[in-house]
Formats: sequence, C-alpha cells, structure tokens
Amino acid sequence: MLFYSFFKSLVGKDVVVELKNDLSICGTLHSYLNIKLTDISVTDPEKYPHMLSVKNCFIRGSVVRYVQLPADEVDTQLLQDAARKEALQQKQ
Amino acid sequence: MSFLKSFPPPGPAEGLLRQQPDTEAVLNGKGLGTGTLYIAESRLSWLDGSGLGFSLEYPTISLHALSRDRSDCLGEHLYVMVNAKFEESKEPVADEEEEDSDDDVEPITEFRFVPSDKSALEAMFTAMCECQALHPDPEDEDSDDYDGEEYDVEAHDGMEVDTTPTVAGQFEDADVDH
Repeated sequence: MLFYSFFKSLVGKDVVVELKNDLSICGTLHSYLNIKLTDISVTDPEKYPHMLSVKNCFIRGSVVRYVQLPADEVDTQLLQDAARKEALQQKQ
Repeated sequence: MSFLKSFPPPGPAEGLLRQQPDTEAVLNGKGLGTGTLYIAESRLSWLDGSGLGFSLEYPTISLHALSRDRSDCLGEHLYVMVNAKFEESKEPVADEEEEDSDDDVEPITEFRFVPSDKSALEAMFTAMCECQALHPDPEDEDSDDYDGEEYDVEAHDGMEVDTTPTVAGQFEDADVDH
C-alpha cells in the first residue's frame, strides 16, 4: 500500500520517467501504475524528434525502468521508515 | 510493405471500442496509405482500403500520445511507440551482417495515425488508455514474496559486534600493581 500512497503524493509533481528502451521523458505526473504525464519534454529530442510536439502521453507501466523523483519533494527519512515498517508487516 | 496482411476487421467479439475511418498510417516516417483504425480491447488494428493491414498487441505498445503540432507536415495525430521491429522486407538477415545487432537494445518502431477528423483524437487517445489497462504483464513469479535473504545494513539488532578495540591494549595482559 505504501507504493500507492507514495505515488499519490507525487501526482502533480514533475518527474522524469526513464523507459527500458532508454528514452527519458520529463513531465507532470497525472496518474500512475500506467503513467500518464502532462506537459512532457523529451530529454533527448534528437533521437525522438516525433515526440517534440507531444504534450500529454500514456506510458505502459511495464516499460518503465525508473521514475526519477524531485529530491525536495520526498522526505527520504520518512520514506525509509515507512518502507521498513511495511517490509516487517509483510514478513509476518 | 510485406508485413501487411489481409484479415477481417475487428468487431464486437474483439471488444471494438472505436473505429476511425479515413486515417492515414505512417510507419517510421513512411506513409502506408489511408485506411481505418480499429481500437479494440484485444488489439489495435489498421486496415487500408484493399483490406490489407496490421495489428499491434497492447503489451508491445510502450507509449502512446497525441501530437498537437499543426505545423508538423502530418498535422495533429496519434503517436504510438511500439517495442517491436517492423521490417520493410521479410528477407531474413543473418546476425553477423547486421550492423546494429545488439541483443540488449530494445527495438523501437514509431507509428503515427493521422485521422482526417482531428476532433476524434482525444477519444482515440482515451480509448487506447482504456485498452492498455486491460493488458497488464503476466504476474512475475519472483517480484512479490521475496523470501530470500535480504541484506539489511541496519537491522542487525542484538548482533552489533564492535570489532575495533575501544581501548588501545585492552587485549594485553593486565599489569598487576600492588
């Protein structure tokens, strides 16, 4: 459940999604699991010129390699504690 | 285009959500002609006027988006990135002859669907979002329930062993001074 509540807190924030095919897309998180981003920009536009004019996109969740989070929007200590708690709960 | 083949247009049995006629298909920049795009729950299909076309399976569709650039030569269109290779010719090429035969690189094919009715784009995008949600990847056996040894740097409660001597010479025999 932490995964869901954590991502919920990121909706509306700017993230960079790195796909398994190495494409990186920066945008505002609209929804997650399958990731919808608004106001996107591609970090390597020469490779994907066709995406320059795209504003919103839908990314299949299973092709996501990483979601880069804004450092100042995440309380890492809190996240670590919550993750540890959840891991302990799952082991019981 | 030898990957085009003839098949009956998807109908209600395949969960057809939206049918968009008068839609041009472009593969990696090459025009395939004008036809009808079928957005069905089972797969995404496109058929030209002569009944030839192709289908895309949702698990292979990495992302889809709307391009709103009217100055683009194609105009506003639906952009679809597919994790598959579409060869122009079906000649099998031996791996040694391929310049870019790198097994680790994921193949990327870009499709663009250009409907003559631009007002339909929003609905086409939404229909594809709904269909994608119906095709999650199969459950990975190992992803949840990891019962293996997890190396947790900090959780060694009660097992803290300080190996460095806190006092120099603490392991030396005590001097007995009376």
